Amino acid sequence: MKAIKKFQIDTKELSPKEKVLFNKLISAAKLIALLYLKQKNNKYPGANFYPHDATREEIEKAAKKNPVILNPYTFVERNKSGKLIAIPFHLKFKKELKPIAKLLREAAELSQNKNFSWYLKNQANSLLNGDYEKSEIAWLKTELFKFGFIIGPIERYLDKLFFKKCAYQAWLGILDEKKTKEAERLKKMFLASRRKILPGSEKVDVSKLWVRVDKTVIFSGLIADFMFTGTNLPNDVNLMKKYGSNLTIFETSLDLKFRNDHFPIFKVIFDKDLQKFYSKDELYRASLRCILLHEIAHSLIRYRDAEERLGDLFPIFDELYGYILGTKGCGTLLLKGAMSQKELEAILIMHICRNFTWWLDSLKNPDVNHYAIGAAIAQNFFLREGAIKEKGGISWPNFTKLFICIDELSHLLEYHIALGSHEEAKKFVNEYGSFDVFKSFYPKLVKISRKI
Amino acid sequence: MVLYRHCCFIWKNNSLRGLAKIIHFKTNPLTTGDFSKIMAEEKKFYLTKEGLERIKKEYQDLKYLKFAKTKGEIPKIWHSEDINPEYLSFREDLSFLETRIAELENILKNVELIKPPPKERQNIVDLGATVLVEIDGEIDEFTIVGTLEADPSNKKISNESPIGQALLGKRVGEMAVIKTPIINHSCKIRKIKYKRI
Repeated sequence: MKAIKKFQIDTKELSPKEKVLFNKLISAAKLIALLYLKQKNNKYPGANFYPHDATREEIEKAAKKNPVILNPYTFVERNKSGKLIAIPFHLKFKKELKPIAKLLREAAELSQNKNFSWYLKNQANSLLNGDYEKSEIAWLKTELFKFGFIIGPIERYLDKLFFKKCAYQAWLGILDEKKTKEAERLKKMFLASRRKILPGSEKVDVSKLWVRVDKTVIFSGLIADFMFTGTNLPNDVNLMKKYGSNLTIFETSLDLKFRNDHFPIFKVIFDKDLQKFYSKDELYRASLRCILLHEIAHSLIRYRDAEERLGDLFPIFDELYGYILGTKGCGTLLLKGAMSQKELEAILIMHICRNFTWWLDSLKNPDVNHYAIGAAIAQNFFLREGAIKEKGGISWPNFTKLFICIDELSHLLEYHIALGSHEEAKKFVNEYGSFDVFKSFYPKLVKISRKI
Repeated sequence: MVLYRHCCFIWKNNSLRGLAKIIHFKTNPLTTGDFSKIMAEEKKFYLTKEGLERIKKEYQDLKYLKFAKTKGEIPKIWHSEDINPEYLSFREDLSFLETRIAELENILKNVELIKPPPKERQNIVDLGATVLVEIDGEIDEFTIVGTLEADPSNKKISNESPIGQALLGKRVGEMAVIKTPIINHSCKIRKIKYKRI
């Protein structure tokens, strides 16, 4: 079945009881994919969340009278008289959600960790009663569990019409304590300085940021389609402000992405002489840092009104700015002696490779287009400013110029996400978002693309 | 180069399990090759009082462990050293221990204690100063320490880092230019303070 991705990980360290618990969570995760597939529909920008014949204007008009229409956890349907009505996910999928909640409760009974047990019961209740906020708070209030587990309607990327409706997903992983400690150290260094904010902007300060690196065993639902390497939740800025944010790096997914995408792309698009300077290990480490810093940076760019102002363009700016600010932060680490020049160069190289990865991914899965557009904006910006020289599908970066570009781009993106209008954002996307920047590399990349 | 390497000895010998002591210490961020060079050049090591205490304690602990390890704890050599993993492991541990002890002895021999400067020079950045700076629109505060104590995740920046080098000798209100092959930034010094000893 589609929308499920399983990874091979070592579970030797789990006790027999934990293995039973673990398998129950895997079964629950698998079942959620069915609900995601009922939400998904690539033919329509609103997927299956809205009636396919309903226009944006009609939905907006109906939402003015009945705000539940644009609630993140409802389907919009027509009643017998043709009027738009909202049906909550938990009622629409009542039958399908019952066995999932049952598995979660059984797993909760098996857990020897009281907090984790409490959290799983909260998740089960949320799925059935639609009070997802409660389970998100439960997740944020608890410590670093041995298991990283999330299930429910979470990400909004499927709704390209309004960027409102949440698609079902689940993941399960085991905490990698060593890498989590490293990530925590990097987080502390990265967040050491206070950023200035643009006057007039409605910046939201995230009260606390937890970091964990997990060896993932399963992705189900949206996350299996998108193959995230990291995530930062919750998405609700009010919850973030009050309870903080939880950042997870999916180590197993990253390993796969590095092996199948980032490293092969590096071998194809960069000059052979440049390739000699960087080992595979150095680049893997850079790729991990790139993702980690991107996710940490997300916690610095939360604005109360950004989603409303930018609408459907918000995810483009949000994701791109996360990458740019994360990479920019490495400059400070270099100046403080916490990162070497070569490490920074490797991060810049991986940043470029990731731009290509998102474009290749978008060719197979149009749902990730917002990531690809963001990647194209960065790549066009680098090329126009002379930070990357390109000839016949081979490129050579000028690291000094590249860093200046990242700095300039960060200021532009800060404006858009903090204060800019939808119209200004659209103009910016039209100016820099062309995929043509990747096309001259296509003959070389197509060989990699087939393998992915 | 990673600035810090947290090394640890886990004492494997069963009879020493009572000690079963895991010693974590921050090593010199430089490599062994660099270390030999430093030894030859008799480089000064700048340490705060607390840093010096930690180094002294680590030195004493390691000396004791070496003593315990070599007094009656040498594994019996079987027919050949080559095929005796226990003996090889013992030699390896001992060699690691001796290298670190030599490093620490060199540090203690060439140590210079960081002290706050006289009052009239406390508006100038020196080792031990906690500096509030504005860099690229961000406000940052950290303490300038010697390389051995540097820990950017705890706001301790090495005097040998690009920012440390650029700030040393500068006064409040002055701009410092930080240059690296990739990044050039200027940084304004807003406040300097020294901790009383």
